[in-house]
Amino acid sequence: MSEMIAQEALPGLVDKWLAQGKRVAGPSVVKPGYCLYVELESSAQLALEGFVRPRNSIKEFVFPRHETVCRYHFSGHTVETEDCDPPQSEQVIVGARPCDAAALPILDHLFTWDYEDKFYTERRKATTVVTLACQTHDDECFCTSLDLGPAAEQGSDVLLLAMPGGYEVRCLTDKGKALFAGETRTAEQAAVVPPGPPVTVTPETVMTYLQASYDDPMWIDLALRCLGCGACAYTCPTCHCFDIVDEGTAAGGCRVKNWDCCQFAMFTQHASGHNPRPGQSQRQRQRIQHKFRIYPEKFGVMLCTGCGNCARNCPVGLGVLSTLKEAAGHGPVEVGS
Amino acid sequence: MIGQLRDKCRRLLQDGAVQVVIGYGGASTPDGMPHPIFVRRPDDVDKLVWNDRCMSNLTTYLTRDAVKALGKPAIVVKGCDARALVVLEQECQIDRSAMHVIGMACAGVGSPRAPKCASCDVHVPALADEVIGEAPETTGPADSPYSELEEFLKKSTVERFAYWREETARCIRCYACREVCPTCYCRRCIVDKNRPTCIETSATVKANFAWHVTRAFHQAGRCTGCGECTRACPVGINMRLLNQSLARAAEEHFSYRAGTDRETPPIIGAYGLEDKESFIR
Amino acid sequence: MSEDFEPKIVAFVCNWCTYLAADLAGTNRLEYPPNVRILRLPCTGRVDFNLIIKALEMGADAVVVSGCHPGDCHYTAGNYHARRRWILFRELLETMGVETDRIFFSWISAAESKKWQQMITEITDQIREMGPYQAYHEISEATA
Repeated sequence: MSEMIAQEALPGLVDKWLAQGKRVAGPSVVKPGYCLYVELESSAQLALEGFVRPRNSIKEFVFPRHETVCRYHFSGHTVETEDCDPPQSEQVIVGARPCDAAALPILDHLFTWDYEDKFYTERRKATTVVTLACQTHDDECFCTSLDLGPAAEQGSDVLLLAMPGGYEVRCLTDKGKALFAGETRTAEQAAVVPPGPPVTVTPETVMTYLQASYDDPMWIDLALRCLGCGACAYTCPTCHCFDIVDEGTAAGGCRVKNWDCCQFAMFTQHASGHNPRPGQSQRQRQRIQHKFRIYPEKFGVMLCTGCGNCARNCPVGLGVLSTLKEAAGHGPVEVGS
Repeated sequence: MIGQLRDKCRRLLQDGAVQVVIGYGGASTPDGMPHPIFVRRPDDVDKLVWNDRCMSNLTTYLTRDAVKALGKPAIVVKGCDARALVVLEQECQIDRSAMHVIGMACAGVGSPRAPKCASCDVHVPALADEVIGEAPETTGPADSPYSELEEFLKKSTVERFAYWREETARCIRCYACREVCPTCYCRRCIVDKNRPTCIETSATVKANFAWHVTRAFHQAGRCTGCGECTRACPVGINMRLLNQSLARAAEEHFSYRAGTDRETPPIIGAYGLEDKESFIR
Repeated sequence: MSEDFEPKIVAFVCNWCTYLAADLAGTNRLEYPPNVRILRLPCTGRVDFNLIIKALEMGADAVVVSGCHPGDCHYTAGNYHARRRWILFRELLETMGVETDRIFFSWISAAESKKWQQMITEITDQIREMGPYQAYHEISEATA
């Protein structure tokens, strides 16, 4: 016994939420070969099958690529500032993948541990995540190695699972129940979820390995092919580095918060001219260490959900998984086959 | 072909003629794209592969410090990649005599075939030190390299602007386009400049549009049409169209095609006393 | 468009020719519309075409680039470089749908104050007719 909605009901719900004034985001094929999570104007844009997962992640709906945090203007010798409030309009993300949804509780630690980043927390509070369980996966997926899977519930308010005639609806939180109240009917069966990818790495052994490998010269070889762009970090559901810059004129301007990437050469450039991570090897090492050792040491969770976006979007086919596997060839600890 | 390539590279490394082979290696998935690899030991040449998924333009590595530090390279190139070597040489970024260029005859890459392959006229790379493989059978003459552009230019100014507004709105400023490009080698890119800021780093339509205008214009007369920028873009921005626009302008106004002749001065940086100026008051 | 629309025109002019022409127009009391904001540079060869984009981003409805006649450049060849670049940049802007009929390139020597007056007057009238450059101003609105 379960709750379900008919297949046709889902687009109808999307249009209903839009009509209620909510912002709705979901996967859409923006051009042939490119499926991205975008803000939807109607359910006609929503794409629910024919691809493994979108090329980007849902983090941009709680952590935008660019936002203004305050405005300032100069009058004479004084500066007047005006704080900007994060938007509080309700939003629904429909058709998220479990590996996207699971990133949100992981990010929650970072945005609240020493200072509550209202630009994140307000958006998070106003967001309901409706996840679609995965029917398929490809060779870059490794969520199962990180205790997730095609029907993982972490971070989701509602989980939809495809079944004959429609979707099983599992409301996991109060927000989820409120969104789907009165929309479901009971069904005899429950959905059957296909198995996810086989487990290939164990995080604990990776972490142990990384603790021992900081000075290993293998990082130099590993990073030779990395081009130092931001394709991995910007499409990653859990990467969250940002840069605060002022943009303006002699009259005034805005202080903005933009995404930044640890692989850029200037990422750790100091005003003095010194750069503690001057080469791609140091930058690549930092990325892997951050995700699989530093963040878990601090917050108890890996900074990765195994979605595979890094590998799919990397122009030269690097991804954290292949890096870990390759690194393992040099280390004393078995990372996995 | 792969046997020949591996043998050649094994000999080059064994003889000490080169210290590193920059080539294509294994993919991380069975049908995936071969990764760039840097082979330094003769025994490792068996990691080299060659197939129609060898998309990367490896010449982009020739201007990187970490790769230069490895020593004299041999580099595996397709015809489209090799043209970048000419531009890099014109701009004094590489010493052509200090590398061994192995050209691979190529019938096209990607599945479906990459758009650039339909107009390819360098199936057998020119200007390589040696070529492995035979010219492939081609079915008829190559398409015009500007066919997509000509189709696009049927749109009105308003339609074109709306198109680019939508394309650049998706840009996440990851600079994958910049990093894959062999001729984007500035140590400090214009977007990294502040005091003053030329192009804002924010991913707004305004700043993204300015970035794409600049990226394209800095390739004027330099882009050799390898298409990597467009392939690398995670959100599918059609940068090839802009590159085609400038390449066609270079050909029409200055009879110039980047990457074909190292003796001709580059068009930006040179000028002609007779340059036409019908639209100048 | 409203009757009150006054075009904002940004002019990048070279110090040795067009700037002096504008100055001469002033001393000769030649009247021309005050819509033009003149920015003095050493030479048109210094014009990085990002400046044109910046001017449009900051609200310009038209942009003028003006310098010495070919052969008369104070720095010998700066204007040749500018002309070469402009031939290519114009094609790029047209492909991108930027209204190139709002961007004007001219050679005005230090003695040609009348030409400056006439050109600015004509351009101002033309842009007033065309209206503000709405499409570019829309993309320049900062998003939160």
